[in-house]
Amino acid sequence: MSDWLAQVIDRADAVASAQNDELSSARLSALSELKQQKWPTRRTEAWRYTSLHPLEDMTLPALSNDTPAVPDIDGLEPIDFVFVNGKLQGNMPALPAGLSIGGLTDSTMQAAATEVFGTVKPRTHLFGLVNDVLATDGLVIDVAAGASIARPLRIVNVVTAGAETHHRVLVRIGDGASVSVIEHGAGSGASVNTAFAEYALGAKAHLEHYRFALHSGDAIHIGGAHFSLGTEARLNSTLVGYGSQLSRLDYDVIHAGQHAHAKLNAVYLLGPREHFDLHTNIEHAVANGTTEENARGIIGDRARAVFNGRIHIHRDAQKTLAELNNRNLLLSRGGNISTKPELEIYADDVQCAHGATVAEIDDKALYYMLSRGIKREQALVMLNFGFIQELVQQMPSKALAQWLEPQLRARFVEMDTRNGS
Amino acid sequence: MMLTIKDLHARVEDKVILKGLNLEVKPGEVHAIMGPNGAGKSTLGYVMSGRDGYELVSGSIEMNGDDLMELEIEERAQKGLFLAFQYPVEIPGVSNMEFMKESVNAMRKARGEEALTAAEFLKMAKEACKQVNLPLDFLKRGVNEGFSGGEKKRNEIMQLILLKPALAILDESDSGLDIDALKVVADGVNSQRDGKRSFIVVTHYQRLLDFIEPDYVHILSDGVIVKSGGPELAKEVESTGYAWLGKPVESEEAGA
Ligand SMILES: Nc1ncnc2c1ncn2[C@@H]1O[C@H](COP(=O)(O)OP(=O)(O)O)[C@@H](O)[C@H]1O
Ligand SMILES: [Mg+2]
Repeated sequence: MSDWLAQVIDRADAVASAQNDELSSARLSALSELKQQKWPTRRTEAWRYTSLHPLEDMTLPALSNDTPAVPDIDGLEPIDFVFVNGKLQGNMPALPAGLSIGGLTDSTMQAAATEVFGTVKPRTHLFGLVNDVLATDGLVIDVAAGASIARPLRIVNVVTAGAETHHRVLVRIGDGASVSVIEHGAGSGASVNTAFAEYALGAKAHLEHYRFALHSGDAIHIGGAHFSLGTEARLNSTLVGYGSQLSRLDYDVIHAGQHAHAKLNAVYLLGPREHFDLHTNIEHAVANGTTEENARGIIGDRARAVFNGRIHIHRDAQKTLAELNNRNLLLSRGGNISTKPELEIYADDVQCAHGATVAEIDDKALYYMLSRGIKREQALVMLNFGFIQELVQQMPSKALAQWLEPQLRARFVEMDTRNGS
Repeated sequence: MMLTIKDLHARVEDKVILKGLNLEVKPGEVHAIMGPNGAGKSTLGYVMSGRDGYELVSGSIEMNGDDLMELEIEERAQKGLFLAFQYPVEIPGVSNMEFMKESVNAMRKARGEEALTAAEFLKMAKEACKQVNLPLDFLKRGVNEGFSGGEKKRNEIMQLILLKPALAILDESDSGLDIDALKVVADGVNSQRDGKRSFIVVTHYQRLLDFIEPDYVHILSDGVIVKSGGPELAKEVESTGYAWLGKPVESEEAGA
């Protein structure tokens, strides 16, 4: 066991004795599980390409109190929950009918909290367990059956230099209810953050989900989003990730009811020397589910991306339709991508397709464009940004897409280190 | 002088291809460069435009007083150099329209002019598209994506019309074209001749020169211009071929 994990366990015991809420027993159970876990090394399959050295070696600087502004998005009127280093800023906003929201330990939210906490997220994620035992900050969101929440809920999770935070979001979406949730994480100073979210979708529930994991620089971000889909539930999820010295996300989608549909788009844009690791796992546990997953990334100089896309089609999951595609563009030979689609199919009547590609910049096309007077950075954007842009434009919220696109474009232009440096 | 090339030696990878080429082009002139396959005709265009891997060994290339070799690829283009490619590049995912609009606006910006609006550009592009006899939906398609050989060549001429370069090099813009397409290409080029802008027409055959009448004809062989003359030289090549040049051009030991 590492020192880091040992101190987590020490603190967890303290958290467990201090908290006396409905989640206590779930925390204790996670803690005993955590005590069984081995600290990942290069030989641990799930951590093969992602080293935890930055976490082991992290000495947090003094806590910085500058707080980045929460972005205003044209055409979007979200109900905002802004957390700075785990603490909710301001008061709970007024909520429309059908929506109840409270803190993790809020007594009014206990029914929803206990139903979702640790029941969607598999227990295999080490840092998920860490989050189980340490997260006392976060939100419980309960959408009543049949409720259709018009305004998106935006959960902003800002982590400043020097902070260590463990943040949790639990969402229960009742039968036939629909809601849009934006998880926006940011921070670039030396910090440690785990952020896990669990979503339990009832029958015919609809979730539009966004996770903007815009942590960069020295911020260590380890988290996940986990979804359980009831019968005929629909999930449309978009992940946008930047890399940092250590960024790791785990997604799980569990088709628990038949005829559910999951659409998962992921975009990652890694600047020089950044690291980003995305593991996704789709569990088709029952028949007639569909999954459409697209992950696309652009990898800057000496950056490393890891993508592992698992689709597990259980024996009874006949008539499953699952597609997984991963495309990567290396901006320089110094960048690195490890991509691995992992299919485990135990049913015979299924349609399942997967593919992964890694491309480099098309030098001929670039030369052709330059020879027409187009500036190098502009040409690169035109040539290579398109395949990312396509996924951004698929986001159901046009307002979010319009807000995001120029930022990604700017980040992309900055990433091109061959331009003059 | 529009273009002054002095004693140009250039190599591709490790092989010296151009071995002491001299050429002067005045504003408004049309020069034809003819020669057998492998003579170095395309290499000349690539070196001038700055393609990676095509390196200057010695000598100089000046365009309108600028040392071309000192400029980035896009700067050369912005200063008025245009190469119509022998093999135009396909760029799936970038529309022809976007490509040409960015290009035209990059040139305008370099000249300190306002960028054209989408509507203004569309009008220009439609006219140019008609002029080279391409259906308008070619503007929406990916750059050269799935175009036939002839369509690619006409697309190059469309760019020539839109960009109005000071010096255009047409690298075998005639190859693979039927007579109608050839006329479209030639008419396109002729419409751009205004007594100030210059053209270097690179061709293997004399045929194109029936339609684009050159002021001078040069024969390039094994990296040097071995003969220069007027339009009559092209006729001579047509009847005698290149056999009189003697030795094959791909001799390995050929040094600088
Ligand atoms: N990329 C390249 N790598 C190696 N040799 C090349 C390359 N391009 C051209 N060459 C060689 O350079 C010589 C001249 O080629 P090129 O300029 O294309 O001739 P032309 O256009 O007159 O037919 C040929 O011998 C050809 O094989
Ligand atoms: Mg050639």
